[in-house]
Amino acid sequence: MAGWRSSYPTLSQTTRKDGAPGVRGCFEEKQILVRVAPKDDSIEGLAFLPFAAPQDDSTLGGSLVKRMSGTMQEFWTRLRFLFSRKRTQDTDEELQFHIDAQMEANLAAGMTPAESRRQALILFGGVERAREACSEARPGWFFDTLWQDVRYALRGFRRNPVFTVTALATLALGIGATTAVLSVVDRILFRPLPYAHADRLVSMGLVQPLEKQEFTLGGFYYEWRDNQKPFESMTFERGAGECNLTASNPVRLHCADVAANFLPTLGVTPVIGRNFLPEEDVPNAPKSALISDALWLARYNRSRDVLNKQIDIDGKPVRIVGVLPAGFEMPRLQAVDVLLPAQMDIGAQHTLNGGIGLPMWAFARLKPGVSVAKARAEMDSVFRYTEQWIPEQFRQQFQLQIRSIRDRQMQDAYRAAWVLLGAALAVMLIACANVASLFSARGAARERELAVRSALGASRFRIIRQTLTEALLLAIAGAGAGCVLAEILLRIFISISPSGIPFLANAQLDLRIICFAILLALNCAAICGVAPALERPGSIALAARTANSGAHTRLRGFLVVAQIAVSVVLLAGASLFVRSFRNLQREDLGMQTKNVLTVRIPLVDSRYEGSHAYMDFYLRAEAAMRQLPGVQAVGISNSLPPDANSWHGGSRLGDFFVVGRPPIPPETGGTVVGRLVTPDYFRVLNIPILEGRGFTEEERSANGDFMILSRRLAELLFPKGDAIGQHIRSANYRPYFSVDGPAFTVVGVAGNVKNAGLTGQDEPESYELWSNHHPESWSRHCVFLIETNLPPAVVTPWLRTQISKLDPTAPVEVEPLTQTVARLADRPRFEMALLSFFAATGLLLAVVGLYGVVAFLVAQRTQEIGVRMALGATQRNILERVLARGMGLVLMGGLIGLGAAFAVSRLLRDLLFGVSAHDPWSFVSVVLVLSGVALIATLIPALAATRVNPNVALRCE
Amino acid sequence: MASSPELLQGTLDLLILRTLALGSMHGWGIAQRIQQVSKDVLQVGQGSLYPALHRLEYKGWIKAEWGPSENNRRAKFYSLTPEGQGQLEAERSNWERMAEAIGLVLNQV
Repeated sequence: MAGWRSSYPTLSQTTRKDGAPGVRGCFEEKQILVRVAPKDDSIEGLAFLPFAAPQDDSTLGGSLVKRMSGTMQEFWTRLRFLFSRKRTQDTDEELQFHIDAQMEANLAAGMTPAESRRQALILFGGVERAREACSEARPGWFFDTLWQDVRYALRGFRRNPVFTVTALATLALGIGATTAVLSVVDRILFRPLPYAHADRLVSMGLVQPLEKQEFTLGGFYYEWRDNQKPFESMTFERGAGECNLTASNPVRLHCADVAANFLPTLGVTPVIGRNFLPEEDVPNAPKSALISDALWLARYNRSRDVLNKQIDIDGKPVRIVGVLPAGFEMPRLQAVDVLLPAQMDIGAQHTLNGGIGLPMWAFARLKPGVSVAKARAEMDSVFRYTEQWIPEQFRQQFQLQIRSIRDRQMQDAYRAAWVLLGAALAVMLIACANVASLFSARGAARERELAVRSALGASRFRIIRQTLTEALLLAIAGAGAGCVLAEILLRIFISISPSGIPFLANAQLDLRIICFAILLALNCAAICGVAPALERPGSIALAARTANSGAHTRLRGFLVVAQIAVSVVLLAGASLFVRSFRNLQREDLGMQTKNVLTVRIPLVDSRYEGSHAYMDFYLRAEAAMRQLPGVQAVGISNSLPPDANSWHGGSRLGDFFVVGRPPIPPETGGTVVGRLVTPDYFRVLNIPILEGRGFTEEERSANGDFMILSRRLAELLFPKGDAIGQHIRSANYRPYFSVDGPAFTVVGVAGNVKNAGLTGQDEPESYELWSNHHPESWSRHCVFLIETNLPPAVVTPWLRTQISKLDPTAPVEVEPLTQTVARLADRPRFEMALLSFFAATGLLLAVVGLYGVVAFLVAQRTQEIGVRMALGATQRNILERVLARGMGLVLMGGLIGLGAAFAVSRLLRDLLFGVSAHDPWSFVSVVLVLSGVALIATLIPALAATRVNPNVALRCE
Repeated sequence: MASSPELLQGTLDLLILRTLALGSMHGWGIAQRIQQVSKDVLQVGQGSLYPALHRLEYKGWIKAEWGPSENNRRAKFYSLTPEGQGQLEAERSNWERMAEAIGLVLNQV
């Protein structure tokens, strides 16, 4: 009895908030356990206060232990009784015995049999209540009633299939869509990098308008490294290229040259073996290598005796000193199988490559407490010093950029990820609002039922528990369906995703996200489900014909307005994206992509010494291709539009010097794309020659240098239009700035071709004839363009056969040009598809919510409608009233939504192409779609309202 | 007429346990016993006696078995278990301490 128990609540009057007397179950009165007989001259029995006697401190521990052991024993006994049910017959018999015994005592006291029985029953109190109380004392009683609640809830669901299905579908859609997208976005935004303390790692280097991915050169790197302050260590890699493992079964691999401190700077330790030693990183030292886990598994089956094994790479012996961990990635995400020490000749970096050193990509680890901004500031002076090695013509174009490795990896994907996140959360909000609205409506419909139950004696706890059980059952079922949907959606997203977004293919449903979504659903359902039950049912509810709580209706109306507003925003965003994408598709590329095959033959360096060998091979390949049946023309180029050529092939407008004219001031900016092409290039791609003529085959072997300008470039260099026959010199940067290179003769002007990606403007372009007199200009990076009417499946095998006659080991990559171009549109297509999906889902949910509210309104007011019709309203009047109510909600929601959409679409500006952020057509189409769908959703219940039979309505409920 | 004060549930448990300490008896007997010993002051409402008995049985402080009563009718006899014995002593000492404390307060000057 320690402490005080209050299983029976104290008796008190209750009033509702509005002052009306509350209905209380009669069983909430306090039970009279033991009556104390009043005496005349003494205090009326004893009254005992419900507080605990203060515990003696010294026995606190002892009594605690005793209490705990007592509780344990009690627990086991209760558990035993849980599984053995008492037969109610026993109880009946027991109580009957008691009453009989009392009757006998009464008889013995002299009452008549009838009177003794009556007195015995009075003295006993309520038999039924005693029996119930006995069964309540049973330990398993709680679970019995819980099971009752569950069964009742299931019956309720079966009786209201529309509500159940709608609630389930809403929850499933909301949870499924949100979980799938969050899993995807999580991979993009929050993927952990496989380096120690990856947030301290940065990539640093030079950027200029033509090359936005920072890089550096040997001369700069070593100067920076020796004079830097903010970094714990700096390291570099020289890029991953193809190399051959010549052995019993030769295989082509990717090898990367890295500094000796590459792995330590990144915080990666080899799984077996060791990192490079400093003495292995000097020029002409014997080469050692680190191999990847995949290679270790494939060739050596993960055996430890791969250490110190000697292998041949590109014909040179290399010793394996370690194996990289399984999840290792290069910071720039290239695929790599073997790491080799770069063995840089530091001194030579100031003479090689025109004095600026070999290209490389630098990374560094920040000192603790140093931020990226601080590092930039501290490196500024060092950078200024090394700036002097950049030729002054374009010194001011170069900037030093330092940013985290994650930023470098994810740059473009960030914005798209945030947009998707926003859309997913919007859909989730709409779904939650729907669920709340549904439960609120259901609660209103059940108000009378709950009032009756309460009047019959259900405690508030019981009622709340029952509604909570219902809500939780729905939420769990909806969450389960949602997870299944999420898995399906994720598979679909991955299959349509573009290759540009890294790591998407590995996205899986994250457990954290699933738990978050389920918790959200449970919370939402619990709050919405229990809220109606928490109110004390007013006694008026028992008598009322219909439940018509004003506050609830306002709440539901508010929810629908909010839903419509959010889905307007989603629709607007999706519509903008769709228009943007269609603009992208319809862009005139300026060239023909149908019937063109692109062929790449990246030869292995070691077998072709010197570019002369390349030129030989490629010319022979070209001749072989020309002889294939069905091939009309074969052109060669060193890069492919509309892809933007990297800065190796680009130059600035100021680099073009027209012989005999004043030079263009260097500030007139603009990049110029340069390509080396053979004469048939224009023919294959159907690029029109607007002035002059194209290149001829004879000019390829002739002694001159010939150039064709794109119309844009011709307009810039020759505003008066006299381009043909002029001579142009281009500035040379190797070794230093000079203008004494060859003079190109302009022979023609070609039409503009998109050459800065699908979304960029047309840049001016210059085509140089790829002549046979400059073998040094030939390299592995050339692409053949074949014009043919035959399908690729037919031509490709012939092609491979021909090429293999020339070189059996040469890899041949064939792809139709349409496919290459389509790939560029992958990213916008993906974003558009996802956003449209969300917009459609959001609209569907909002419209379902609207339908539900209007339908419920009509059902609630059936009586009122009946009265109106009886008083003379026509069907049309009723229709107008209901429509007005429904469309009023839509109007409000639409206006708010449009306002929000205007604000939000400004954020999307950078992702759109050819469409302004406030494009009027998009918004108009959104309004039309919304109005149309909402009208239908409102019309259906409105028509049902008109078919109300006044006779029936007046008498119903 | 003054309103009848009520006792708490725990007090009833104490009375039942103490009554059963004298020997096993059935529900009717317990009620009569309490009434007699308290000189008719405490009259146990039978509607609450049986739930209390069942509750105590589920807690394991008393155990029940069917047997013949005085006039050879079948009745359920309750008896105290060892745990019940320990519980009785604990609650009894608590009760006495509380009564003493209240007495001190009532008698204060």
